[in-house]
Formats: sequence, structure tokens, C-alpha cells
Amino acid sequence: MEFCRKQVKSDCEELLSRFQRTESVRFEIFSKIWREMKFSHIFYGTMTHEKRHFSRLVLDTACVFFLPPFNFQIRVGGLYLLYSLYRSQTASPLQQIRLALKDWEDVQKFEKDAVDAQHLDAVYILRQLMCIKAFHFTAMPSLLTFNKKRKVERSALCEKFVERTSRPQELINIELLEELSNVHKLYENLKNSVFATAEQAHPDPSLNLIQKDFVPEIRGTVVDFYKWQQMTDCAGDGEAEDAGEGMSSQQECSGRAERLASIKSKAYGQAAEAPKSRRHRQVEIDFSNNAGQSHMSGSVRMSRPSLKARTSDSVDISGDTWKDATTPTLISRLTTLNSASDEKPKQYKRFKW
Amino acid sequence: MKKKKCRQKLITHEPPRITYFVGGNMAANTSKDVNTNIPDYEYTDVNTKLFHIGSFRSEWLKRLKPSSYSFQAEDEEAFEANFAKELGVDPEIMTKVKSVCSLESLRCHPEDQQPDPEVVPPDSTLKTLVQRKKRQDHRASLKISKNRHDLYADELDRMTVGRKAESVADMVPEGEVILTINVYYPAVFDKFNYIRPHVTLVMTGSHSLAELRDAICCVSDLQVCGEFSNTPDIAPDFISKDHFKSAFFYFEGVFYNDMRFPECQDISMTIIEWAKARNFPPYSQAKMEDTRFIDLKIKVGFPYLYCHQGDCEHLVIFTDIRLVHKNDCMDKKLYPLLIHKHRVTTQKCAVCHVYIGRWITKNDQFAPSNPCLFCDKCFRMLHYDAKGNKLGDFLAYPYVDRGAFN
Ligand SMILES: [Zn+2]
Ligand SMILES: [Zn+2]
Repeated sequence: MEFCRKQVKSDCEELLSRFQRTESVRFEIFSKIWREMKFSHIFYGTMTHEKRHFSRLVLDTACVFFLPPFNFQIRVGGLYLLYSLYRSQTASPLQQIRLALKDWEDVQKFEKDAVDAQHLDAVYILRQLMCIKAFHFTAMPSLLTFNKKRKVERSALCEKFVERTSRPQELINIELLEELSNVHKLYENLKNSVFATAEQAHPDPSLNLIQKDFVPEIRGTVVDFYKWQQMTDCAGDGEAEDAGEGMSSQQECSGRAERLASIKSKAYGQAAEAPKSRRHRQVEIDFSNNAGQSHMSGSVRMSRPSLKARTSDSVDISGDTWKDATTPTLISRLTTLNSASDEKPKQYKRFKW
Repeated sequence: MKKKKCRQKLITHEPPRITYFVGGNMAANTSKDVNTNIPDYEYTDVNTKLFHIGSFRSEWLKRLKPSSYSFQAEDEEAFEANFAKELGVDPEIMTKVKSVCSLESLRCHPEDQQPDPEVVPPDSTLKTLVQRKKRQDHRASLKISKNRHDLYADELDRMTVGRKAESVADMVPEGEVILTINVYYPAVFDKFNYIRPHVTLVMTGSHSLAELRDAICCVSDLQVCGEFSNTPDIAPDFISKDHFKSAFFYFEGVFYNDMRFPECQDISMTIIEWAKARNFPPYSQAKMEDTRFIDLKIKVGFPYLYCHQGDCEHLVIFTDIRLVHKNDCMDKKLYPLLIHKHRVTTQKCAVCHVYIGRWITKNDQFAPSNPCLFCDKCFRMLHYDAKGNKLGDFLAYPYVDRGAFN
């Protein structure tokens, strides 16, 4: 069956990119494309003894699109694809969709997002699959036979389906830079205080284990990354305009000059890069029709005390070294936004009739 | 002095703080890593990290609603009512959702013009179908008729699909673990190729390793040693399996020995002592018959070992572990299920060219070659008179063909 893996994948990608172009998450739209492409026919003409293997391969291929790192719209498309393939397969007995334990959490999150955004068709189809026992609850997504590939064939992820990377921005945020800067300062002070008694003006250079200006350095790197990301996005002539369900915003590019200006003005758009888990909710609050329900649950991220707080608890430093460390830093001023984001987050239309 | 103390304290605090620091913003990842019973790749697409099968099962059961893994079909109406209630959907919209998501909407042709699903659609734009058409045309030009083994292979597990047990006690329970295990045959090839002959067995978590052992057919178990030209009738009594019963599986540092019979020996002891003498990490032993799959800690996709007859070694790979599904065979008594068998070409009798060889003769004046292979019938007709007396001079050794289990 291996001989057709590439073809199957490419057919699925074609269907999903047509779906992507519609900027919709409606099953109605999906099924229209399915019919146009006559996708049910993909099962036609398989030899009897190949039917089950082919179903297995098709379902395994499609299942990938239902999971991260793909963006919400593609994942909805992936779910519709799984449902449609499962119901159209010609194998007997039916082949099940394999769901690995490690991916369960992602499926749950997906379902919650879909419920919160009232995408009734997506939720209905997911639950329908569960109800008709279309899943195998497995250890891993596919069967493993210790197949070490002689030549590693890059099965390239379809780039434009993938949710934009925002980890660097998320990780290196103001909060962290500030903490980092504090720790760094603390560390420097500590070194100084240790050597103060040793009648040395400066600490032993052998203790210079960390780049002196590493906080601005790290920030600079992330800014560069962000700029580069913006650039490549626009080079792809705005096609990468998708992201998680109703979110991410910075892709709108109306001109290079404008863009660069906006980058300069707001460090690197930290506000637009709310953590993935919250981006979705943020949008809901802005757009929600049922104003009554707020999905704003308490933020988990905030519950942990800041590193600064933890540092002050655990480090026992005498004298006024500590005082310095707690005053606001230059970095925090550097990374604070000048103005709030004026870009509109993207959202898929609700299930309406 | 005080300064020194301060420094020391800082140092002792350093490691946990650093891990915090790195892990801080990736809390989602770290919480995942903590649970080692959620299988994940050790090498992507090759094998998983080590996990405990029983705990893996409970992790799934903890997450799923019992109805999700139940054998009972869920009631369609109840499902819809539930859905409508939970999402606050009124009946009118519910009807619309249902019709939008119906199978109707996936139909790619007019209802009265259903094409033949056995025929590759000729004018499709799907790459899969373009390729399939080419392939089909090519095969047609070669006039390849379907191999009977292919037909048979398809039937192998179809018979057991959804099979119910006669008594409740024999039913595989809901939420049971199903394992798929490949057992590979020692490769004896003239030329190197990529095909690895194996059988695929399906077992449940409550099966023991001894039950797996009994399901592995290997010619070396049936090998008969010795020369039997004077007493061909007693040869089958000397089957190796009955003589040399010892065997072991080796998974993750543990030798699981078959100790069911008094003749069984712990044949892993030699290896363990050898390893000990060379400062290898310590190995331990357990009994095959006392070990159920559910109690094992293994890596899916990783090659392990089955050894019997002293030196006949097979690779064993757990290719899949999952919860039982209502389409699985539910009759415990039918397990282990054999769902794949590799077929090897069999050596046929030198006289009739029909039956599989059972005897090898040497220094045989009746034989066209030396050595020579005979089926049982031809061997006896040629070498013995009507009363069973040996004719002429020759040596005869029982032979078991590798394809004898086809
Ligand atoms: Zn063997
Ligand atoms: Zn013969």
C-alpha cells in the first residue's frame, strides 16, 4: 500500500487547501468541495484484498490534519475529512480511526473550542463519530514495526496549514525579560559582593560565564525572528492568513513601510500574541453574541508566582543588593507597548441559518 | 564567613531554580512528560518509550466515557437529544444540522447513477486514482491473476470479526487491551531482500506469555533429529518440541522462561551468568506462564527476542496496543488470533512434484540426486516393499519444510 501514500496525502492536501481558501469551517462548504472533487471515488477500484489496507492508509493520512500543529480551520477540515472518509470507505469490516492517548488532550481542547464558538456542525460530527464507535483508542497513531528508514524522506508538512509559530514570542515576553534582567542583575551583584572583600575592584574575569548584555541580546534575536516571520508571511501574498479559531491578527499586511513602522512602534506585537489557549477566548469576548456567557475562566498562567517573587524567597542576600534588583528595569520600558493593537483578530462565522 | 554561606546557599538552590526557569513557560509540556504511561515516541515513527500496559489502559479508561468504549451501540435518538440539550439547540436547527451533516451530502453522483465501486473511475483528477488506473492497466497487460494466498489472507480475520462468545465467561470484557504482535522468522535467505517473513498475532491483555509461545509455530519445533531409514514409522514421535521444551522471551532486561513442564530448564541462566561476569547491567528472570501482558512494561515498535530449541531466535515486536472495539473478536477462546502469515515457497517432492517434501535421503540408489527430497507417499513406495521392509541402501532423515504451515 505504501506506493500510494504520497498520492493520497496530496489529494487530501488539495481538498483542504480548497477548503482553506473559502475561509469557512462549515461542513456544508466542505461537502461541496468533496462532491466537486468526487472524493468518495478515492475508494473505487481497489482490489478486494487491498481494501482494508487502503482504508487504513487513507484514515491514517487524514487523521494527521485533525491534530496540531495545524491551525483550527485545517483541523476542522481534517475532522470533516475523517468523517467523510470513514463513512465512504468500502472496506469490510470498517477500519477505525486511530486516536492515540497522547493526542486525546488536543482533541478535547479542540472540542471545547468548537463548542465555545458554537460550531455546531463540527461538534456534531465529532460526537457522531464517537457515537458510532469510529475510533480505536490506541497507544500510537500508527502501527510501529521498527521501520528505520534508509533514507529519511521528508514528509513535508503543508506549511500554509500550520499554525504560525509564536513560541519564541510567547516565551520571551515582557514578564520573562524583566525577570531575566532581574536575575542577571542579581547575579552580577552577587559576584561583586563576593569579591568586595578580596580587595578587587572587579570580579575575577573567569567568572564572566554569561554574556554581559545577554538580555537585550535575546530580545533582539526574537525581534529579528518576528520581523522575518512578518516578511515571509507577506511574501506568500497574505495566504497565511489563518490561525487558530478566531485569532491571530498580525498577518494583515497592507504594505511594507507601514509594517516596519508598526514593528518599530510596538516592539514585537506582544499584545497580539496572547497565549494560544487564551487567544481564542479573547476573541469570543469581543465578538460573542450571547453576551451573557463569558468563557473567561481564571488564567492558569498567572497563578504561579513570578520568578522574581520566587527568587526573593529563595535567595538569602544581605545588604542593599536586593534593593537594586527590585526597581523597574530598562527592559520593561523597552518592551511595553506604546499603543494597543489596532488589528482585528480573525474569526470564523458561526453556525447560522 | 557570612558571604561564603550565602554563596553556598545560592548554589544549593540553583538547580531546581534553573529547571523551573526553563520549564516555566512550557508547563503544558512538562505536565505531559511527567506521566510516563502516556506512550510517546522514543524515535519518531520507529518505536515508543517504555510504558506499562496496564497503566496505559487505565489512563484511557480514566479519560473516556464508558459509552465510548462500550460494545453497545449508542441510541441515535438519545444521542441527538443529548446534543441538542447540551449545546442549547432548538429542534428546528437540530434538523438542519442533521441534514447538513448527513451522508447524502457526501454523494458524488446522482442517486440513480451509482457508478461501479469496483471500477477505477477513468477521468478522475485525484492523484490516487490516476495512479491506480495506471497500475490497473499495467497489471491487466501482464495478465496477473490473483494469487490464492492473497484471497486467503483477506479471509484470515474476517471470520472472527465481532464474533460473540457462547458463554458470558468467555467474552472479552469491555475496556480490555488488545495487542498486535509480530513474530519474525530467522532469515535464511540466499539473497538479501527487504521482506521479513513473520506472523501477526492478536492477543488480549489478560493472556500470558506462555499463550503467546504456544501460538508461535516454528519449524524448528517440529524438526526430527536422526536417521530413521529402518524405522520410518516411529520418526514423528521424536518431535523436538516434545523433547526440548525450554524457551524464553526477553523484554526489557527480563528473561521470561517457560517453566510449565518438569523438563523445562531455565535456559536464560547461561546468558545471565555470562553477562554478570562481564559487568553488564543486571538481568532478571520471571516465569512466562505467570506473566500477563497487562503487567508488562514495554516499548511499542521495539524488537524483542523469543528463543527456543536452544538457538532458534525470533524477533518479537508489539506493533500496536489499544482498547478492544466492538468489531473485535469477542470470544476469548478464539485467541490468539492469527491475522497474518508469511508464505514461503515450499520444496516439493522430487518424484511427484505435487506434495511438500517430508524426507531427505542420502546415498540413495533410487534417487535422481544426492541428497534428495521425497513426499511421504513417494518415499515409502520407492524405498519399502508392501510389508514395509527397507529396500536397498540409503539414509533417510525426516524433513520439515518451512512452508509446511501455509
Ligand atoms: Zn524458531
Ligand atoms: Zn511425491
